[in-house]
Order: sequence, then C-alpha cells, then structure tokens
Amino acid sequence: MAVIRASDPGQWTNVDDTEYEAYCKERGIDPEKYTTMELLCIAAARQTYDYSFIFAGTGLPMIGCMMAQHTYAPNALIIMEAGILDPKLIEVPISVSEARGGYMCSTLSNMADTFGTFAQRGFCTFGMLGGAECDKYGNLNSTAMGGYYSKSARDDGKTGPAVRFAGSGGANNIASYADVGLAMMVQEKRRFPEVNEYVTSVTGSRGPLGSADDRYHHGLFRGSGTTIVSDLCIFRSSPETGELQMAEIYPGVEEQLVRDNVSWELQTAKDFKPFDVPAYEEIKIARMVCDPNRIYLGRKTKRDLAAEK
Amino acid sequence: MAEATIPTFMRGKDKIMSLSDAVKTFIKPGTCICPGGFSYTKKPFALAREVIRQDIKDLFVTMNGGASICEFWAAAGLVKLLDTTYIGLEGIQPVAYSVRRSIQDGTIDVEDYSNYGFGLRTVAGRYGWPFAPLMSEFGTSFMDHDTFGKMGLRGKKADGSWIHPSIAPARAAVIEDPFDGWGLRPHAFDGGDATSNQTNFLEQVRESTAYTGNKGVKCILVPPILPEVTIILAQRTGELGTTRIEGIWGPDNEQAISAKNCIVQVEKIVQEEELRAQPYSNTIAMQYIDAIVEVPYGGFPGQVPYYYDYDWDFWRSYTQINRKDKAEVNTYIRDWVMEDEWTFLSTRPGDGYPTITGTSGLERLFELRADAMYGYKPGLARPL
Repeated sequence: MAVIRASDPGQWTNVDDTEYEAYCKERGIDPEKYTTMELLCIAAARQTYDYSFIFAGTGLPMIGCMMAQHTYAPNALIIMEAGILDPKLIEVPISVSEARGGYMCSTLSNMADTFGTFAQRGFCTFGMLGGAECDKYGNLNSTAMGGYYSKSARDDGKTGPAVRFAGSGGANNIASYADVGLAMMVQEKRRFPEVNEYVTSVTGSRGPLGSADDRYHHGLFRGSGTTIVSDLCIFRSSPETGELQMAEIYPGVEEQLVRDNVSWELQTAKDFKPFDVPAYEEIKIARMVCDPNRIYLGRKTKRDLAAEK
Repeated sequence: MAEATIPTFMRGKDKIMSLSDAVKTFIKPGTCICPGGFSYTKKPFALAREVIRQDIKDLFVTMNGGASICEFWAAAGLVKLLDTTYIGLEGIQPVAYSVRRSIQDGTIDVEDYSNYGFGLRTVAGRYGWPFAPLMSEFGTSFMDHDTFGKMGLRGKKADGSWIHPSIAPARAAVIEDPFDGWGLRPHAFDGGDATSNQTNFLEQVRESTAYTGNKGVKCILVPPILPEVTIILAQRTGELGTTRIEGIWGPDNEQAISAKNCIVQVEKIVQEEELRAQPYSNTIAMQYIDAIVEVPYGGFPGQVPYYYDYDWDFWRSYTQINRKDKAEVNTYIRDWVMEDEWTFLSTRPGDGYPTITGTSGLERLFELRADAMYGYKPGLARPL
C-alpha cells in the first residue's frame, strides 16, 4: 500500500496500464467502457474545483469527493460531518465517520463542531449530496413520500408514509451553507416532480429567484445555485430564474429521454454543451485508485438492469 | 449534619458494573435513550445487544449519527418513539430496513431534525443552555412538521409538570436576530473576510418577512436534548470514570454530557493515572459517567478506531436478512444476540455468513484488528 504524505496533494496517480487491464480482465469489464455509476462519479468530480472546501455527504458523494481529490481538485479540502477535515482518501469510506475517511486528516472532532467550525463559520464552499427526489428549483427530498407523518400523527387512517427515506442527516445543513451545491441522483420522472411534497434540503434557489419564495426570502443567507448530476445529464440552476436547466448531456443520451424523465417543461441552458466522453485515464483512476472493490462503482440503476434484459 | 448521600456519579469504583447490571439499572421500558457512535464506528453494540436480551420495550430513541443500533432494536420490536436526523446505514443500506418498515407500518413514530440542528441541541444539552441558534433548516418542511406536537406530547399537564420529561414544549422557534446578521460570515471587514465562502445575501434576507411577519434576519432556536440515559463506546475509561475516546468523536461527548445518566462500554478499564498523565487528551470528565462496562471487542460488528475494523461481510449479509418477513427478522435478531455477550463474541463473528478466510469466533475478531498507522485494517476485503 502506498504511503501518502499528508502534505502531498492527491494527483492523477500513475497506474500502470498493464496492471489496469489485468484487473479489468479478471473482473470481466471493458477497460474503456464506463458504467452508469462510473459516469456519475466522473461527472461529479468534473464539477468540483481546486482549492475549494468540499463538504461531502454520505452515499455517492463518498466516491465523488474521493475521485475529485485524485483528479480535478487535488488541493481541495474535504469535510465530513462526523468530524473530519482534510483527509487523504486512499480507501473509499462507506460512512462519513469511519476511520478510512479520517486518514491523515488535519483535525478530528465531532459533529456539532464540524458544522459550526467549518460550515457556519465560512468554510463550506462546495456541498456534495445525494437525494431521493428533486424538484424544479433544486429542492431535495430525502425524507418521505406519501405523507410525512407516522401513524399517531396522521389524520388519514394510513399507518405511515408510503415510502420513508433516510432523512436529512447533514444534507439540509450542507445545502444551506454551501456557496454552490451538487447532488448525485438517479433520474426517473417520479423522482423529478415539479414541486416536492417534502423539502429536506434547499440546494438551489428554493423558488423563483427574486420572488418571496426564493432561498434568501426564506432566511438563508448563503448559496447561489446547484448542479444536479443525474445518470442522464447535468442540470444547473438558471442564474436568472433559479429553475433547473439541462446544461450538459451524456454521450448517447437523447434529449427527449431527459425531458421524459422530469415533470416540468425543461429549458435548455444558454451555455448547453455535450458532456465530454469519460476518458480512459478517468475510468482507470475511478476503478484502480478510488474503488477497486467496486463498492459504489459496481452498483446498477433500474435503467441498467432494464437494459441488460 | 446528616450523613451525606453519595451521588451515583461519585460512587468511585462502584461505577464498574457487569453488562447486564448496568442495563438493568439504567434502562427501563419507555426510557429516553441516546445511543452514541456514528453508523459503523464506535457504536456500543454490546450494550445494544444486552437491551435486546433483556427485552426492554417501548424505547424512546433520541439519536444522531446513523441507525445501526436503532436498526437492531427496531428489528427486535423495541422502539416506540424516535427523535432523529437520519435512519440510513450509509454506504451499506441507504435506509435501515427495519426502521423504515416500522415507520411505514405505524410501529414507530418519528420526529426529524437536520444533523446540525440536532448537533446544536446536543451542544445546548451539554452546556445546560435553554436553546441554541441555528441558521439552517429555513425554507424546509422541518419548519411546518411536528410529529410529537401533533401527538400531544409537547408542553405541560394540568398539574404543571411536563407531559414528557424528554420532549421539549416546542420543536423549534424563530426569532429576529437582535444583532441583524452582524456575526455571520463572510463579515464586512475592511478589505473583505478571510473565510472561504464567497456568498452572503444578507441584504436580500433583510427584506424577508418569513416566519415572523417582520422584515429582517431570522434565527431558528432549537431546544436541548435531555435523554434519560446515553450509551457510548470508548477505548479506555479510568476506574473513576475519566473517559478517553480515540479517533472520531461523532456526537459522543455532547450526548454523554447532555444525559441524566451515561453508561460507557469500554475496550479496557485502566488506572485513572494512565489517562490523567495527559488530561488534555481526555474526552469526558469523570462525573458524567455513571456506569463502566468492560467488553473487549464489544463494538463488533462495528469499527473501533485503532482497535479493530468493522465486519464488512456481516453487514453485507445482515442487509439481505433484514429485508425478510418482519417476524422472521425479529426471530433472527433475538437468536443472534445469544444468551450472553461472551457466548456471543466467541460464537457469532463469522457465523452464518461467508467470509473470505473462513474464520469464526475469536479468530475472526483477531483477524479484524486495526493497523495503528491507519486506525483501520488496510486492504480489508470488501466485496460488493
């Protein structure tokens, strides 16, 4: 195992191509062909920028922020909410609290302190999240669908919400404090409604920018918009209206498929461009450096499973 | 002068208790209990298993930092109320299935906060504050949903006592910031601020009439958490209660200090002097610890930094099992904890699920030992 010095930024580590191709052969995967999860990971890393403070939530952001550290944002500082500042990630963590996520970090503290000392205090520039549901203005729902309340607090005779998700965790706070947000999500029409029934995290403008329903008029003093990295395309908040617009589209994806999988009249961003095909080097780093066990990269979306059939 | 009663927190070495006695003494049906640790890290699983063995029902679980203990308790049907922020198992199962199912089928009633909202409640609890200020959760559904309020659990009874001693009279409150956002960063220093954040929209926020009807910067106040008992895991505790946590604290120090009583499950009880030689490294002062229970490897199947890693293969297997029929999962979990912790630790690791090396019992535990350089076991096989 390579020893990583704390003062060395993560780099485009040179992984031997022969070693990589042997790894791919052993696993029966094509060295040049990326999967949906690999695409999400690469797309998220490309949205980050160097010298930022990336506050990473749990789930897909774990692999997203690790990929960023080893490629596009080697000098960015990663924050994880259980108490970690600036770790050097050499094995992908499965939790924002585990020792793999804290390796060679600058300080380790606790949850309240992390949000206070870094986010509230002014060091959470880039918030990276996952979500279950996302609406037209970039509000995420990671709490419940089919009515929030549990049985004793409901009036409709049902026993609880139709589907209960994990809840906010730190997502709400990261979204509230970051200058820009990013959420990694699987895109299905029912998960992209015009208005969320429950708002867990305000990553975007909350409502139309400049109206009494925008994030600032609700009392949030930071934040300027969001990027949603889905498995079909990349959405960005319009700087004029706050609405999510299609900003980049993945190779081989039809625009109509993106439109069919959101519930509002989707606009195309002024600076719309096709997403650059993931490069061999990017796929190699995702696989060999970030997640050789394929804990995240080996997962399949419903669309993947349908395509296999 | 009357003979002084010795408070429980000054019982000296009498704080050292057996696992079953500590649980029996401090945890009763309906207790408001706060499990420490975070997801797979430093979770007091031995104490959690003993709660299942003693079948302590109707628990009111107040927690931050991942649902692994709550998942086992929900599987065993022991949880009634949940005051939380997150019910997932992070990278292994996005939503802890037994907790999810129990909320959907009406077994558990749940109140939600954000992590920082809850974290600030633990800070308020730690310092004995009436509330703490939160600048997040604005514009969300947290602000107009209150499960415990709708259930009539908030406020006072006719006799003036609290309806529930661990439930605040309100979920949160909003005030107008008397300092007009002056303290928020980036601040308007001459030449700008040295924080990393660039956005500060206080001018727009000052136009907002949200929540109070008046223009101006608002601030949310959250009440403290006041659990009856907090359970935590620490690597070392002195015989009198001085506790040192190595690696990440998660929410432990605040939650331990917020509670009426705290039970610490430790890898090793040591002489106080060993910890008092470097008092600046100690995490929790002795008087906040009411019971000390020594259970080496008792954090299994979780990770205890610098001691041992989590059992990945167990969790992979468990997250298949917990999706089975509810009664079947209940039987499984009650059987899994066995009759006592020693039998459990010498039997269950590597038992009933495939591991690459094929080891089981104590041999499996030794195999998971951490590398001191890393705090975990580098290269631990983690197949999907």
